[in-house]
Amino acid sequence: MADPTSVTPARQHAVTLRGGDLPWRPVSPMLTRVRLITLAVVLVPLVIACVAAGLLLSRWVLLGALALLLVGGWVAWLVARQVSAISWVELDEEIVIRKGRMFRSLVSVPYGRLQYVDIQSGPLARALGIASCEIHTASPESGGSLPGLPVAEAEALRSRLAARGEAQRAGL
Amino acid sequence: MTQPVSRPSGEWQRLHPLSPLLRGGVVLLAALGYAASQLFDNFLSSFGFGDVLVGVDAPDQPGGGGDPFEQAVAHPLLALVGLALFIGVVALVNWVSWRFSRFRVGGGQVELRQGVLFRQHRQVRLERVQAVELSRPLLARALGLARVVVQSAGGSHSTLTLSFLDLGRAEVLREHLLELAGRTDEVTTATPDAVGLAPGAAGALAPDAGAAWAPHGAPRPVLEVPNGRLFVATILHGSTIALGALVVFGLVGAGVRSVGPLALAGIPALLPVAIGIAWGRFKELLTHGNFHLADAGTGVRVQQGLTDLRTTTIPVHRIQALELVQPLWWRPVGWWRIRVNVAGSGGQGESEGHRETTLLPVGTLADARQVLALLAPGVPGHVWDSAVLGEGGDPAWRGQTAEARWLDPLSWRRQGWSDVATAVLLRSGRFTRRAVAVPHARIQSLTLSQGWLEARLGLATAHVVPAPGPVSPVAAHLDVVEAEVFLAEVSERARWARRRSEPPAVPLARDPSGLVDWTRHPPGSSEPERP
Repeated sequence: MADPTSVTPARQHAVTLRGGDLPWRPVSPMLTRVRLITLAVVLVPLVIACVAAGLLLSRWVLLGALALLLVGGWVAWLVARQVSAISWVELDEEIVIRKGRMFRSLVSVPYGRLQYVDIQSGPLARALGIASCEIHTASPESGGSLPGLPVAEAEALRSRLAARGEAQRAGL
Repeated sequence: MTQPVSRPSGEWQRLHPLSPLLRGGVVLLAALGYAASQLFDNFLSSFGFGDVLVGVDAPDQPGGGGDPFEQAVAHPLLALVGLALFIGVVALVNWVSWRFSRFRVGGGQVELRQGVLFRQHRQVRLERVQAVELSRPLLARALGLARVVVQSAGGSHSTLTLSFLDLGRAEVLREHLLELAGRTDEVTTATPDAVGLAPGAAGALAPDAGAAWAPHGAPRPVLEVPNGRLFVATILHGSTIALGALVVFGLVGAGVRSVGPLALAGIPALLPVAIGIAWGRFKELLTHGNFHLADAGTGVRVQQGLTDLRTTTIPVHRIQALELVQPLWWRPVGWWRIRVNVAGSGGQGESEGHRETTLLPVGTLADARQVLALLAPGVPGHVWDSAVLGEGGDPAWRGQTAEARWLDPLSWRRQGWSDVATAVLLRSGRFTRRAVAVPHARIQSLTLSQGWLEARLGLATAHVVPAPGPVSPVAAHLDVVEAEVFLAEVSERARWARRRSEPPAVPLARDPSGLVDWTRHPPGSSEPERP
């Protein structure tokens, strides 16, 4: 703020890495469920295999099953926290996406820079009615992805982004 | 303008007749030569000269001498026929391939059609053209041919390569393409005054001077890099120095300790590594040899290559990010390197991206200043000086916090960012000094990130994301509040810059690369309708 020539916007609230008074919107809690189910699909057969091996071969292998369960529980807790940490907001000229708790990240993509927007959803996500929205700019690393939007909202967001991108597009 | 053939737009034109052969390159030629010599050998030996010419073959003759008569009759004819057939097939393939590859410039795009069985039709819209390059590999140079590479925005598959054309024709085509690309480019208000003024006087880092970008007259030579200096600079590289240190260490170990033979035995193990490093350095030398940079009005023209001489013109307003860096090893000699991100020629093939984005492989600070004045006229020289030489403490640079000391014990004082009228500047590194500039109008997006340790210290890292390339601008370990201020201010600047630069006249293609691949077109529809 030291620079007197700075053009700090007074007309809008500041974008902050955490908290803030902007109308940050969360993603659907269904995303937690999708990710937990995916985790279970990986973990449950492993646990079953461990338990079977423990009963048949050596009781010590049961410890492995216990460890797997503990890890699974921890990851599940992490997933819940991560999903609740995803939030996004549409500003006048940018869309801002925040993610992560331990490793926070924030990406601010101007509508004028959008090249295209992808909507993706796997079979599981589709069954639960959510989709992920990928935003692409001319730089592969600068896009943002917004997982876990209800399908209708994702479609609406896509058309909103496309319209705004068209209106505010800037040359490369 | 030597040949008026390539001037009229919209006509389908052919490449040089020898180009398919040349495209096969050295490998094909070698195979051809080998096959021919084999056949010729057989031909001779079947007449009985084989023993004279190749003495080693002599013991074989009695073994296969079951039917010497038959061999003597059948072989020379067979060999001759084989040779003729081979040459015929090569010529035919060459001819067919030549017949089927055509290009044209017109209707606002460059098109190239090639392939016989698998047809390909590639087109690049002229307003998406980022750079047009002339490349002359050794073999082509010997035959007076050149390759024209049209680069457009969007990744590795978006280049259109016309190989090969006569040098004169290629040059005319290049000028023509650049002229057309400039004409359909984003037209702006800044144009009239940006043309006539000295480069330093233009108001913006990236004057959107598209309309005036046709190269008027001969480019003014600015500087060249002596090959001797380049050689030394190439040797002065982290990998070679590490290798040298290792070898010296080994030799000293061999001399001092009684384990000498053991230490010496380690040296052959290093050989593959050494060869790899030497190859890398050698390629660097090949790429950047004979480096010449010239001022071409609203762009710079770069000519480089020891064997494959390439000429590229990069319009200043296509530069997305710019980096001035001094590796530690160059510090005693005071050398600097300038690299840029140019949309369309970044990132992918290591050497490719490297070649087209280095605008000064090695140069003194005075050289660097000259180049920077051309590339970034909006950034005053003293700002660059403080960016690369400043040690911290100057008020124009913001973002240094004492907490960052824990993460950057050496360079935390230097790290920071500054804002000039048209660009955001970032500097970092105390030993390897680095300064990066990104024009506000070229910022793609902004990112903040905060790792666990940074969160404990109340820090955050800000990235300015331009189009892809070797330069990745980052302001590491700012205070969290400062990082948020950075985000707010730079986004605001970017907003203003975006509003100033008008959108391109033609809507973006569906495919972000601006390329349409017509590979799957039915082979029957050979003549596309004129747009």
